[in-house]
Amino acid sequence: MSLSELTGRWKAFSYGFLDPSAKRELRRKMIKAVAVPGCQMPYASREVPIARGWGTGGLQVTLTLVKPASVVKVIDQGADDSVNAASIRRFLSRVSGASETWDTLDATLIQSRHRIPEERLSRDQILILQVPNPEPLRGVEPNMSTARQMHADADYGRMWLQLYEQMVRSGRVMLGASYPAMVNGRHVMTPSPIPRWDVKKLHMAEHLTILSAGREKRIFAVPPHTRVEPLVFDDVPYKVEDHANLTCARSGVTGYFMNEIPQEDGSAGYEVSDSHFGIKAIDARDGGTPTVGQTWYKNGELA
Amino acid sequence: MLATPLPDAEEIRDNATFEAVLGALSRPGTVRDLPDPGPLCIALALLDRECKVHSQDETLSARIVATGAALVPAPEADHVFMAAASAEALEVIARLDTGSHLYPDDGATLIVPAKIGEGQALQLTGPGIKSVERVCLDGIHPGFWALRARLCAYPRGIEVLIHDGARLLALPRSTTVTEV
Repeated sequence: MSLSELTGRWKAFSYGFLDPSAKRELRRKMIKAVAVPGCQMPYASREVPIARGWGTGGLQVTLTLVKPASVVKVIDQGADDSVNAASIRRFLSRVSGASETWDTLDATLIQSRHRIPEERLSRDQILILQVPNPEPLRGVEPNMSTARQMHADADYGRMWLQLYEQMVRSGRVMLGASYPAMVNGRHVMTPSPIPRWDVKKLHMAEHLTILSAGREKRIFAVPPHTRVEPLVFDDVPYKVEDHANLTCARSGVTGYFMNEIPQEDGSAGYEVSDSHFGIKAIDARDGGTPTVGQTWYKNGELA
Repeated sequence: MLATPLPDAEEIRDNATFEAVLGALSRPGTVRDLPDPGPLCIALALLDRECKVHSQDETLSARIVATGAALVPAPEADHVFMAAASAEALEVIARLDTGSHLYPDDGATLIVPAKIGEGQALQLTGPGIKSVERVCLDGIHPGFWALRARLCAYPRGIEVLIHDGARLLALPRSTTVTEV
């Protein structure tokens, strides 16, 4: 076997930016990630032309899956039009020829930073979450090797203790985002810093979710119809953010996850976090007929 | 303005193959279409110099060697291409690497031929399956299912990719298989 036999034909540019060997490695790891839901699989994490920590993990997964017929949606905290989301989306379409969309219903690949869209995802869609810190045990065990051993032993006692201490100290669990969740009854994962509002959308979902941390070089997945149960005590039910009665100041929708906008008088205004969902509501109010999908939450309650 | 890059034939094949593999694995029991019949497209989409492969088919082995992957005995392999029809085959499969609790990803991927839609009826439950899936498979030794259950001591285990021409079915280790 000589090097020239192993080398492919010269190309000015690899389709989808990543070279074929990077894609093959990601494919092998995605297979194992789907087979053991919620278990962090190490991978090489190649360089991509954005800084680590800005969505490189999600980007590598999307670049491996993308094809010219793909329709990509990229959101950053629910917004399609933030600089990070717009840049990643434009990069994806430039290197792959895939179409871009803001509409959750049209997308085949949805790369997201820290939100799951309000409209339900279907079985033909793949959600790719960017993960800054894939290790749910980091707060209680800084040593990665020890944390891996704890996952191997399903030893989550300190995780529970941390939750208990927060209850004792503050009267409630003091975790806004990244609420730890037990996947398939075996591995505790961090669902990436999605709000508590979104964690329940992963439980027995129709769609496949792939979570990838580029800087930390870990990939894990939640297949469709897989149990994702937030860690809660029997007598203290899981609580999502208290957004059920908030109304978006721009679109007028009520009962979805909101961004808090500080006002000049010191009070708080709210606007819906899923920006394109808000755009659809404004379009409908102005006499348009946008196609709005089924939502996970109805009147602020999980349907 | 940059020209829109176009995938070449290999990229199209590898992308379509992996889409089928990922779809089949995330929904065990559903049959997906491979771009080409046979296990070769699976090998080409997944294997390169980083892999250790066991193959019992000489033509396929030659193509696998050309990817740079090393041919090794079955217990050391991370990808295994063989039939599971005979008792001898089961002895080989019994010694496959199932990974460890520390690194479940070390568990092997087994790629076997079978007839999908006839033969032994199986009931599947587990992640990726809404309630219960039923499949029929022929060309697999009846002892394979008990052996698979023994190997798949979750989270350790092996993934089984079953190909029938250009049709693909996958059984990740998380799936519970019951013979009916």
